[in-house]
Amino acid sequence: MTAIIATAVAAPSALSGGANVIAVGVLLAEFGMFRQALLRDQVRLYAAQSALLSALAIVVAATRHLPELYALAGLSFALKVVIVPLVLRRLLRGIGAIGGDPRWGDIAGSHALSVASAVLVAIGMAAFGFFTVAALGLRSPVLPDTALSISVAVILVAFVLMIVRRDVVSQAIGFLSLENGVALTALVVAAGLPLILEIAFLFDLLVAVVVFGLLIRVHHGRAESMSTADLTSLRG
Amino acid sequence: MQGRTGPRILQPYYDIAKLFRKEALAPDGSSWVFLAAPLAAMACYLTVPLLIPVLTTFGLPLGYMGDILGGGFILSLASFLVAVAALDTGSPYAQLGASRAKTFGAITEPVVLFVVFTVALITGTDLPYALAATVRSSAGQIIRPAHLLAAAALFMVILYETGRIPVETHTGTNEFGMIEEARPFEHSGPYFAVLKWGSAMKQLILYTILLNVFVAPWGLAATPGLWPVLLAIAALVGKAALLGVVVAVIDNSFAKLRLFKITEFAAGAFLLAGLAVFTLYLGGG
Repeated sequence: MTAIIATAVAAPSALSGGANVIAVGVLLAEFGMFRQALLRDQVRLYAAQSALLSALAIVVAATRHLPELYALAGLSFALKVVIVPLVLRRLLRGIGAIGGDPRWGDIAGSHALSVASAVLVAIGMAAFGFFTVAALGLRSPVLPDTALSISVAVILVAFVLMIVRRDVVSQAIGFLSLENGVALTALVVAAGLPLILEIAFLFDLLVAVVVFGLLIRVHHGRAESMSTADLTSLRG
Repeated sequence: MQGRTGPRILQPYYDIAKLFRKEALAPDGSSWVFLAAPLAAMACYLTVPLLIPVLTTFGLPLGYMGDILGGGFILSLASFLVAVAALDTGSPYAQLGASRAKTFGAITEPVVLFVVFTVALITGTDLPYALAATVRSSAGQIIRPAHLLAAAALFMVILYETGRIPVETHTGTNEFGMIEEARPFEHSGPYFAVLKWGSAMKQLILYTILLNVFVAPWGLAATPGLWPVLLAIAALVGKAALLGVVVAVIDNSFAKLRLFKITEFAAGAFLLAGLAVFTLYLGGG
């Protein structure tokens, strides 16, 4: 039997296995956004995903001795786990989507496809991401290759999320989690990126949140709904 | 649970003992299949433990005659026989249960297949003994995402298969979510007892696969002596009881879904199993 085991896919080291598990957690959070029925929980899920990302940054910092990644992890935690969800929540409360009219907090019916089909489509996209990265043959010095494929899968699944969910907040969250996928890719392929660049990206994110917040408010003010389905009347 | 005092832990055994003393009736027009199916299904359930590591780390004399797929086939053969017997009665309830069980069985089948693929990719074989040995071999094997994802997917399938969530109440007789309880609706006496016993055995078999192959393959007897085996029995009972508590908590803390929402549950399990294969396929996951 030992001969049989030797031909199998070898186990990764405990460390890269753990890093992979965190990366898979980021991807699963992305999938969780597909079926989340309440705006409040959607924002929470985004915060959880960002927290996982910070944890991964700390793991990389500790194992690869990149002390500036600690600073990045702390900053990204403060911004994406605390400030962005806080801003989003305040905004949504301002228009009554959280804690106000329950009609607007409920986004359960905002799917263009049924949840099961949407998840299957997203699995297909994730598989596409996995296999394209495998075909590229990229190698990362700091993290296992699987983490790179997972990050590409996160980006693609975020696109699918933005396409199949028809409420503005899910689409904004989809965009923000897309940024999480990009940050994961950056962590895998370019962990030694100068800190100043990473910080610049993070503040770009803050700008995006403000712009999205404004768009959500304007849309809600004009259409009295959270759904982009009401925008079809703009067609000529 | 649910703020009420439940029946005694041993109540199912009292039920079975009582049923064995009752007379058996068969509906008009049913054939020999109706009476043979419970016994044949029981035989299937008795065969599967030969193939999986229940008490020992080494294979039993016939332990390598079938792999995980073989065990799965035998389990579905048992379920098929019960469904045929249910159809044989002509009773609408039994037929409804049988048809639902088969339809939803087809939905969860891909998940089981992907879990088997994962096992095959990890070990290079799909013998349950080999996977248990691999999991025991190092910590790296346990925290690799493929293993965790496959174990979680299998756990979801087991929750469904034993009728805990998403739509059924395990012993419920509410027709909206009736699958497991509807099939033996027309059976009575010893035959009904055998069916009930078989369904309880199926639950223990599935728990054993999850525990001794995926999650906690420790405490098994490595030698055929008396004491190691006794210890392994105690360990298995302890682990299964612990898992039972976890399942009972899950069972009681989630609302049941509507029947057609079962595809969402199956899609979730399929997602986990699919990701397990993807991460493995690229090597290392």
